[in-house]
Parts: sequence; structure tokens; C-alpha cells
Amino acid sequence: MKRFFAKDNFLFSGFDAHQRHKSLFVAGMIALLFLASSFTFVNALYAFADALGSLVSGSMDVMVYDLLRSVPLFLSCFMSIWGLLLFHAYFRNADEARRTRSLYKNSITILCFGGVNVLYILIGLAAGKFVSLIEGSPSPIYPLDAFLYSLLYIALGIFGLVYAKKLESKLPYVVPSRGPIVTKARFGYCFFVSIWMIIGFFCFWGFLLGLFIIDFEHGHLAYGIALLLVYLTNFCFLVVWEFYYNELKEEARKRVLLPLSIIALCVSVPVIAYYFIALGLNLDGPANIGFGVSPIAFAANLNIAGFILVAAPLIVAVTAFVKALVLRKKSKAE
Amino acid sequence: MNSKSKLILLALVPLSLASCGEVKPCLSHLEDYAFEMAYHDDFNILQLTDIHWNYNTSTIKSKVYLDKVFEATTKHIREAQGPDARIDLVEITGDQFMLANAYHVDSFIEYFEAQAEKYGFKYAVIWGNHDHHGIYNPNWLSDRFLKAPHAIFYDANDDLYGRSNFVINLTEDGSENTETFWQLANIDSGASFSERALSISRDYDYIRPEQTRWWLAEHNRVGADVPTIAYYHIPQEENLQAWNAIHDQGATYRHKFFKLEGFADNGDPRYASDFIDVGRLNNLKAAFMGHAHNVDWTVDYDGVVIGLGVKTGTELYYAHIDVNSDDPAMKEGLASVGIDENFDLIGASLVTLTDTAGSFDLEHLYLNERASGDFVRWVKW
Repeated sequence: MKRFFAKDNFLFSGFDAHQRHKSLFVAGMIALLFLASSFTFVNALYAFADALGSLVSGSMDVMVYDLLRSVPLFLSCFMSIWGLLLFHAYFRNADEARRTRSLYKNSITILCFGGVNVLYILIGLAAGKFVSLIEGSPSPIYPLDAFLYSLLYIALGIFGLVYAKKLESKLPYVVPSRGPIVTKARFGYCFFVSIWMIIGFFCFWGFLLGLFIIDFEHGHLAYGIALLLVYLTNFCFLVVWEFYYNELKEEARKRVLLPLSIIALCVSVPVIAYYFIALGLNLDGPANIGFGVSPIAFAANLNIAGFILVAAPLIVAVTAFVKALVLRKKSKAE
Repeated sequence: MNSKSKLILLALVPLSLASCGEVKPCLSHLEDYAFEMAYHDDFNILQLTDIHWNYNTSTIKSKVYLDKVFEATTKHIREAQGPDARIDLVEITGDQFMLANAYHVDSFIEYFEAQAEKYGFKYAVIWGNHDHHGIYNPNWLSDRFLKAPHAIFYDANDDLYGRSNFVINLTEDGSENTETFWQLANIDSGASFSERALSISRDYDYIRPEQTRWWLAEHNRVGADVPTIAYYHIPQEENLQAWNAIHDQGATYRHKFFKLEGFADNGDPRYASDFIDVGRLNNLKAAFMGHAHNVDWTVDYDGVVIGLGVKTGTELYYAHIDVNSDDPAMKEGLASVGIDENFDLIGASLVTLTDTAGSFDLEHLYLNERASGDFVRWVKW
């Protein structure tokens, strides 16, 4: 345990008080924006899944109507994820010029999303597309909630701009507390990390929501627990990567990757095995319990989306294991 | 993983797998499944189906549409039966929701309670496949309907498959102590199921044999000769059998209305329900369902009228009927209803029980909201 959590392993070990506070602020903002992103992502996913249902049923007009009505949900999701990426990526960058540019660019983007959302809702109201500012559905005060949420992000965007223009030089982020951004095969890396992040959003929310909406009665207890374990495993792996692995110094990372990946394998394999045993004993399960936590597949009666979620921890564990072996081979060769 | 975590994980497996305990047999408490209403000639049952409130639904606009359905139906009934006639029962035959949340459910129940109060009807709620697919606990949904004063609903935690199996016995005075003239069987036709743990897709569900046995027991309780109408959500194999018999083998069953997509039943003979076959031998007069929005095709199949209700409202998907279409199925449907202008296949269905000998009338309402004045047509079966 010591070799995983030794103080010297972490990037913040050499920080002064000011840097530590800033680092904590970053971690706090990432956690907060993760919550917001997870919630708005699942909201957007529900709206999208319903619209997709109309498309696959051949009703393009209904799909367009649905998508247009739910634009504020989609924009709220984009705003949240953009905010998360801003904090996730911005504070990794040691280059002051790039950092300021990134902050400037991302603040304008957030501002635009927020502004468009506010305008969209106002135009929708004027055109009678929304009956009122508190028309209701999916929340009792929709689209007012999306309107207020956008104002919050407009404020965040303005703050980002002010910070970029005036405060960046006065309050520079001296040492990047995060691991460096990958430069090799960056597109592929970003693609897979984004997918993993989306799975993380979904599983975090799925786990929390699942505690309340899964029907553990009617013989569904085993399958309900299996579903929760899958979601929890996915979410925990992402948390370990974001808040532990990325906070380690380069040397420490190389050292812990192999044991960490073996632990991940030891967790994911039994979870997957248990999931399929529970499913085998309850073939009605996926369609009958807490379906709201697996909405991707509802339209076409598919199990496949569920299988992707189930397989994700194993994919992550195997990827980490292979990477650890490659790194070990390289370091031996050196 | 430390030894403590391993122990917790190991403990969870047997604990959760050992979740099957003793369950109550449904046949041991048949009376709990039965509701009573007072029968009178011209007993009006309005079928609403596939309302599909979902994340994108404007519930305000949907309520305006439903208001129009209730108004049009009441007006139609009173013109035919006199000023005191009313909708006696609303059968909501599944897919009330799809990825809906607690707000949708509460609004839905609040709305139907208000309408029930205003028009003096009761409403029976049957689950469709998408009602299982909500952002709520299915037990909570059941509980909400169980507590709604005007709703007729029963969800037993016993060995009977499904969550909305119950019968409504139409008796002489609305109590269980008098003669039953009609029985309305409400059956949960499920959602979907995987054939194997590794199946990529799921099959649509079907009325399971134990549900047929349960209904038969309920039917025998009130008298084997009592005429019955069944309401459920997913069409069973007989719809397709009848369609194929007419269109492939030239059978001359009486039939009417539109079939513009598949019936979307399971289609696999291994999962074919025996409900209609058993019902045919036990005075089942008709079975009405929903599920396939572009279908309201109805057929008299060897003595049992089997038909899909008209989809209610514009959520998810619905058919645009085009009088200039070359689609033979559309032409056939248009010819059967005698409408010569374009319209959307949305509205409701009305069954009127005309006597105690098993006779009933069926009419389909097509109601479209239009800026130039709503399109309202009633078409008799």
C-alpha cells in the first residue's frame, strides 16, 4: 500500500501552500463539473434516445420536433462537458502562452453555448414553440432550468475571459499538477479517453440512479446487483485514473501501472463473470428492471449496449496491463 | 484488492443469487385480481393506447390533445345514446410512458384523475413494454397507480408473470355479489426477454401460458359463459396469422382499418401465446391491443375480434395517411374506412357493450389537430 500512496509519488509533493490550494481548487472544480456533466449528459441522452426512437420508427418529423424541443438540454450538456475539459486540460499545460490561449478560446466557447441557449429559449418562447418559460417536462420548470443554467455558464465564460486577460499574469499557475497531455497518437488517445469519459458519466449516474430505480424485488435482486457492480466498477476505474494515476509523478506511474492493472483485472473479470451468471438466471432482467439506467438500447431491444458497458472495465484493465508490460520491456532494454 | 474486498465480493454472489424465496401462487388469491363495475346496456369503453409521454414531450400540448379526444368522444356518445350517456371506462393499453420520469408520471396521473372526475369514468391501466423503461422504479409506478382513486390497477407480487394483470367484472349492481354480465380481462403482455445470456438482441414478450391459466380461472369464477373482452399491449401471433390467411390464402374473414407496419409481436412460434386459442373456447369475444402505432387493423378471426387500438397522440411515431399513396396496404385501409382526404392515424377507439348476450359495437376515432379546424372522423367496424 505504501508504494501506491507514498507522498513522494505525487506531483503535489513539492508544492508550496499556494500551489496546493490551487491544485485542490482544480480537483474540486473537476469533481463538480463531473457531476454536472454526468447529470446533463444522461438528460441529453434520454432526450436523444427518445428522438432516435422516432427516427428508427420512420417518423422523421417527430424526431425533428423532439430534437428541437430538447436543444436546451443538449446545449446544457455541451456547456458542462466543455467546462470539465477546460479544467481537465487547461491546468495540465505548463506553457503560459498556450494556457492563456486555451483559457481564452474555451471561455468564448462556453459563453457562446450559454448565449445560444438563452437566445434559443427566448426565441422559442416568442415563436410559441415553448408554451411558457415553465412549460414542464422533463422537469417541472423546463426550460427555465436550462435558461438559468446557461446564465451560470455565461458567468463562468466571462470569468474565464477576465482571468485570461487580467489575472493570468498576476496569478500564474506555476507548476502543472496534472500529468502531461499525450502528444503521440493524440487523436486515438483522445477518442478512447472521451468514450471512456462518457461511459464514466453514464455509469456514475447509472449507479446513483440505479440505487433508487432498480427493482430489486420480483426475483431481480441478483441481476440488479450485477448491474450496479458493473456501473460502480466503470466509474471507480475512471476515478482512479483521474484522481490517482494522473496525479503521480512519471516515475511513480511507471512503477504502479503493472500492479494497478493486475488489480483492475482481478476486479473486472469476476464482475463480468457475475454479471453474465446473473443475466443467465434472469433473462427478463434487462427489460424489466431500472431500464432508465440503460437507455441506449431501448429502441431496438438490444442487449449490445449493455455488453459494451460490461466489457469496458476489462478493456481498460487489459489496456493498462499491456501498456505496463510494454513499459517494462522498454525500461529493461534501456 | 485486499482480503476484505475479496470477502465482500465473494459474499455478494451467493447472497444475491439466493434471491428466490417462496412466492404466493396467483390461483390462491383470485379475488384480489378482480374489480367490479355496474353494467348497463351501452356501456362505453374508450381505449387510449401508446400515449408515450417521454423526455421530449410537451405534456401541456399532449393534454390539450387528450382533452379534445374526451370532448369528441363524449359528444359522439351523447348524440348516439342520449344526453346522459358518458364514457364509463377508459382502457389505457400500454406505453403510457417511455423513458419518462417521476414528473411525467405524476402529471399523467394528475391529469387522468381530473378527467375522471370531470367525465365520471374510471380508468384501467395496463403496462406496455415501454412502461417498464422509465427513469423510475417500476414498483413506484405501480404504487402510484394503486393509490390513484379513479384508477383500476393491480400488481401482485406472486408467481403470475407481469405487473398489470386483473379483471373487471361488469356486474348487475357493481358489487361482487350480483351476476356478472361481462368480463374485461386486462393482461400484461410484458416487455422483452433475452433467449440466452449472450443474446445480442431481445425478443418482444408474449402472454405467458400461466397468464392464460390465471385468466381462465378468473373467468370460471364468474361463469364460463360470461362474454369477455381482453385488453393488452403487444399483439400476439393471431394478428399475423389472420392477416396472412386473408392476404396469402384468400381467407374471407371480416376485416377493416389500416396495417402499415408489422404487428411487432414476437413472431417466433416457440413463444406463441395460447391466450386467443383458449379464449375462443371460453367466450372471448374480442381482444384489443396497441404497440404498433401504424396499425389499427381489426379482424374477426374465427369468432374472436382481434384489433389494435388507434394510437393516441403524436408522441414517438404515427402514420400519415396519404390518399395518393401507391402503397397497397394504405389503399386497402383507405378503401375500408371510406375517407378521401389525408389524415394522421391517431385518435382513440370506442367499444360499446350493447347487451348482455355478448354484442358490442366498435368505432375508431381519427382526431387530428389542425389550424384550420380539427379533423374528427368516427369510423364504425
